[in-house]
Amino acid sequence: MWKETVEPTASPDAQYSSRDNEWFKAHVPDYAQGHPMLFDLANLTKTYGRITALRDLTVAVPEGAIGLLGPNGAGKTTMIRALMGLIRVDAGGGNVLGLDIRRRPLQVRQLVGFVPEDECLFPGVDGVEFVAYAGELSGMARTDAMQRAHEVLDYVGLGEARYRKVDSYSTGMKQRLKIASAIVHDPRMVILDEPTNGMDPAGRIEVLELARDLSRNKGMSLLFSSHLMPDVEAVCNYVLVMGRGRVLAQGSLAELTRADRPAFEIRVKEDANAFGRHLANLGCQVETRDDSLRVELPEGEATATLWRATLDLGEQIRSLKPVRNTLEEVFLKAVEELA
Amino acid sequence: MPIFDQGYQHWRGAVSGHAWRWLAVTRQGVRQQMRRRRTKWLIATAFVPALMLAAVLVFWGLLEQQSRLLEPLMFLVRGLPDEVRMGPKAYRSAVWTLAFNQFFLVETFFTMLLVLAVGPDLVSQDLRFNAMPLYFSRPIRRVDYFLGKLGVIGCFIAAASVAPAVVAYALGFAFSLDVSVFRDTWRLLAGSIVFGLVIVVSAGSLMLAISSLSRNSRLVGAVWIGLWVVGNMTAEVLENSVRRDWCPLVSYATNLHRLHEEALDTASARQKFLALWAAGRDTGQEALRASLPFGRGRGRRRPLPPPPSEDEAPLLLRTPENLRHPWTWSAGVLGGLFVLSAWTLSTRIKSMDRLR
Repeated sequence: MWKETVEPTASPDAQYSSRDNEWFKAHVPDYAQGHPMLFDLANLTKTYGRITALRDLTVAVPEGAIGLLGPNGAGKTTMIRALMGLIRVDAGGGNVLGLDIRRRPLQVRQLVGFVPEDECLFPGVDGVEFVAYAGELSGMARTDAMQRAHEVLDYVGLGEARYRKVDSYSTGMKQRLKIASAIVHDPRMVILDEPTNGMDPAGRIEVLELARDLSRNKGMSLLFSSHLMPDVEAVCNYVLVMGRGRVLAQGSLAELTRADRPAFEIRVKEDANAFGRHLANLGCQVETRDDSLRVELPEGEATATLWRATLDLGEQIRSLKPVRNTLEEVFLKAVEELA
Repeated sequence: MPIFDQGYQHWRGAVSGHAWRWLAVTRQGVRQQMRRRRTKWLIATAFVPALMLAAVLVFWGLLEQQSRLLEPLMFLVRGLPDEVRMGPKAYRSAVWTLAFNQFFLVETFFTMLLVLAVGPDLVSQDLRFNAMPLYFSRPIRRVDYFLGKLGVIGCFIAAASVAPAVVAYALGFAFSLDVSVFRDTWRLLAGSIVFGLVIVVSAGSLMLAISSLSRNSRLVGAVWIGLWVVGNMTAEVLENSVRRDWCPLVSYATNLHRLHEEALDTASARQKFLALWAAGRDTGQEALRASLPFGRGRGRRRPLPPPPSEDEAPLLLRTPENLRHPWTWSAGVLGGLFVLSAWTLSTRIKSMDRLR
């Protein structure tokens, strides 16, 4: 048959797709069970000779903008390739958007757009031709692909450069061109592999805005792999930290950066040291930082402890800010635990 | 620079089936190659032999009809035996076959040049610019990629070799005004198409394999020239020194020639003219004997001389020495090269299933 329309439906043959089955209940975290899954992998193992790139990887990730973090050699690229059905895995399996990655890799790639880290632009082709070619490779008719190429080039801000040869593009323009060719067939999920590498600040901000717009306003899920924590924080609402082929930490950005115990950064009017000593006597962990205090409350205690201390000493609190972990701290902590 | 102000529309169109994805690769490759002036020139030049072939076939068609249009050109057939001039229809098949044979002999040269012009960049450029993710992150398979690239070479070979042969055949058919032409010469049409397929698959896969071995397209081109020219030279040296039947197999082009000789059944056509030439030679000798003085040779029936060997015949009627080996040997060599090419491609282009 010449024409076919790929509808993103849940794969009936996938052993992982049903929310009611035992596997799902056992492996998918509670917080994710109510959300639609972007992808879920179970016991995925991939080796290259003596190197194990993915080690019994089990993960389930809800739809949205997902940040993928991990040191070099963590298995991020291999996981991306496994998600797209580009590699033959040794064991395990999984689904992307409800499609089995082992049985339906072509259908998965029909629903996914990929922005590779490599430049991957061949010379002698103009921008619109390049994007239209990407559309044709995805199965679009030539006229549809060309029309759509013009639209997405306008969208990414390359409308005026569409007839320029791609070899004359700047790094930022090339990156936006790759994004345009990844979304030309209107995928449901876009994978961006180190999209801001080697870019100047202005170009980086444009790419981040573009990624954010795709995920928040255009209904696409993102898998955003990067070494740059601020970029992930700027775009993503869910983070996956990998190391040695396994998931070290995962969760929404808010959950991951929340401190283990309630903590506050406090500035007082009079004597910060005396206030700190008094809080320590009340069971708090206190750390003095220049003119402020970092106070961790005891387990089960609320901010009432702080107010009691101000009454005891007749002190005034001038500033009270809850302390959150940065993503960098979360990442380093996860990697240190692995080490 | 404002971005996003144009908005974004979701696209809900139909996509083609997976069986046709390779066509996109072919279309893009052909478009890209046709932007090059040298490719256009080569194709235009490759049409010259086709014009000559068409001219021969049309000429023969008109000769069969004893057309007056040929009167100014009759000097061209003055050297032909009377049997041929009086009954050209009987020699139609043989003449057409020899004409097609000459056409493919010349066209194989242009084909090798075209493959040299078009082929080196096909895989090599994708490797050089890390363009493989562009293909394999899309819903296409490795076989689609290979087929698409092979299709580029196939299009150019078809345009420069097979299509002109078919057009020339149609012209010859039209000018002969005789339906029996098809009955006499269908094998040429079929043979041209089959040989076109052989050369596309063989030269195409070989060039793709060589192209996958290096990121440097010039090096790929140099290897192709080496395979072609050095192969020919080596075969010639071996034929003159070793003098074994297998010596011509060393030359890639000779193997192709051997197959097109077989596909067109050129040997039969040569035999027909060879017999005519031998009969003419014997008749001449008889006449010479009859005209000798003192009755020498008259009244005595001497046995006819032995039939002439092929090597004594005019050049056009001789089977070249390097094409006298069994055609299956050449088919075997080309088949082996195809298997080697397929293996090279499958090991060199491993999709993205690699560590880095």
